[in-house]
Amino acid sequence: MFTRKPKFRPIDAVLILLCLAAGVYVAYRVKYGLEYRSDWGAIPQFLFHRDPATGRWVPNYLLQGLVTTLKLSFWATLPALGMGLVVALFRTSRNLFLRMVGRTYVELIRNLPPLVLIFIFYFFVIDQLMPLLGIEAFIRSRSIGAQTVLAILFAEKSLFVQFVSGVLTLAFFEGAYMAEIIRAGIESIERGQREAAYSLGLSWADEMRFVVLPQVVKRVLPALANEFINTIKYSAIASIVSIQELTFMGRQVVVATRYIFETWITVAALYMVLTLSLSLATGGLERTLRTSD
Amino acid sequence: MNKTEYDYIIEIENVSKTFTGGVEAVRDFSAKIRRQQVVVIMGPSGSGKSTLLRCLNGLETPDNGAIVVDGIPLDDDKHHRLEIRKEVGMVFQSFNLFPHLTVLENVNLAQMRVRKKDKAAATQRSTELLQMVGIADKVNAYPAQLSGGQQQRVAIARALAMAPKVMLFDEPTSALDPEMINEVLDVMKVLARSGMTMVVVTHEMGFAREVSDWVIFMDGGQIVETGTPECIFTNPQEERTQRFLSQIL
Ligand SMILES: Nc1ncnc2c1ncn2[C@@H]1O[C@H](COP(=O)(O)OP(=O)(O)O)[C@@H](O)[C@H]1O
Ligand SMILES: [Mg+2]
Repeated sequence: MFTRKPKFRPIDAVLILLCLAAGVYVAYRVKYGLEYRSDWGAIPQFLFHRDPATGRWVPNYLLQGLVTTLKLSFWATLPALGMGLVVALFRTSRNLFLRMVGRTYVELIRNLPPLVLIFIFYFFVIDQLMPLLGIEAFIRSRSIGAQTVLAILFAEKSLFVQFVSGVLTLAFFEGAYMAEIIRAGIESIERGQREAAYSLGLSWADEMRFVVLPQVVKRVLPALANEFINTIKYSAIASIVSIQELTFMGRQVVVATRYIFETWITVAALYMVLTLSLSLATGGLERTLRTSD
Repeated sequence: MNKTEYDYIIEIENVSKTFTGGVEAVRDFSAKIRRQQVVVIMGPSGSGKSTLLRCLNGLETPDNGAIVVDGIPLDDDKHHRLEIRKEVGMVFQSFNLFPHLTVLENVNLAQMRVRKKDKAAATQRSTELLQMVGIADKVNAYPAQLSGGQQQRVAIARALAMAPKVMLFDEPTSALDPEMINEVLDVMKVLARSGMTMVVVTHEMGFAREVSDWVIFMDGGQIVETGTPECIFTNPQEERTQRFLSQIL
């Protein structure tokens, strides 16, 4: 691949100056126009604070929120992948009915605002699905040790049902995007591959399992990793149903302290650290996969 | 009906296939192929050779007509179709090896999944076949590490691993560099002499003369002329056959 050397032209200098000017103007408006007294010194205590009982430094609201965001996104990704695979198989099926079911799901999700979906689906899950699955009873009947492990992996007892509902809602939503990625992957496999599998007498399931999907995985892994980053971003809407992830915690801190800019900029920075490092890792993954060809 | 006494292994009766878009690729085509015969199909590009061949193992479904393979009708019945897919091997112009599997895994796969052999038995058979096609030293290579001629020979071994009763070849040497054509044709000649029933779409006259029992010349989805290779090549009756042969010679 050929790369062009970056060249600094006069127009770039003008652009940089314009950006700086805009930044200064915004800062000026914030300082004098808003009569906003900033106090960055107040923020670190919301990241870490000293536990009064033990005297040790422990994560406070914002870092706790970041961890919840990560857990929420991670656990949502697994069922979303399963759902995405099934729906992608539906969408590439020869069966018209299955194709229609898959299509309906994907179109429904992709053409509604996520916020509206989360309201509908979350309350359905928490109201109908959770009692049906008996999650509440399950968690209460665990031993203390098991509850601690579950609290570390998912959420503590009092928030458990809520957390799992949030995970399922996000998974239901992300499943549609995963499905489209996997479908594109399946459709990108050369026709000859499937014709060869067919000619050898392989069943549909074996054709998928041994011929198509192994090749699909390699092609779509970077896109799926990228979708995980999207999941982290979408997970912010779970704050609306009181799941205590990063955005929710940010709002709590703002309400309590009124440090609007400091808090939200910190929250943004925390998201950035997470998504940017994942994005760099994805880039690395993409390069490794490409060189292994 | 006793299968082994059944004279014709493939019967094609009045088969037609029109693609969406209106191209009539195969028109009212009939032919019967005996066991152990080697049939070569020739004809200009677009004359329906591939479509006809693909109808024979169910990769395409004819609009009209009937196809019977080894006494089994190729119809909507899933079991019939599966039976026929197992008995009919196919070799493609573009090899279509599975790129993520090694040579050995390519040849083992259908034996293990379809014929339900265990790995040791499959590997033994694969090794024999790969030896036969001259790839014994490359069993653990991936297809991308092989030349085109080697890939096509692996593809032949892969199809043979199913122990098919008929082998279909769709222009198996058209995608190859000239210096590799013979290594593939040689394998096919050995196969033909071993008594395998073969239907081969090819323009390789030497191969047709040497091992084929008869040649079908096709144009516009129909048989223009058919006969022994001697008849067709030395004394073609139809003007279209003459024109085509003068072009490829
Ligand atoms: N999948 C398809 N859809 C539409 N038209 C097709 C398709 N496959 C082949 N055809 C058309 O059918 C005709 C015969 O094609 P083919 O059987 O591939 O001929 P040959 O193998 O003799 O070159 C051609 O006109 C081709 O364009
Ligand atoms: Mg063709």
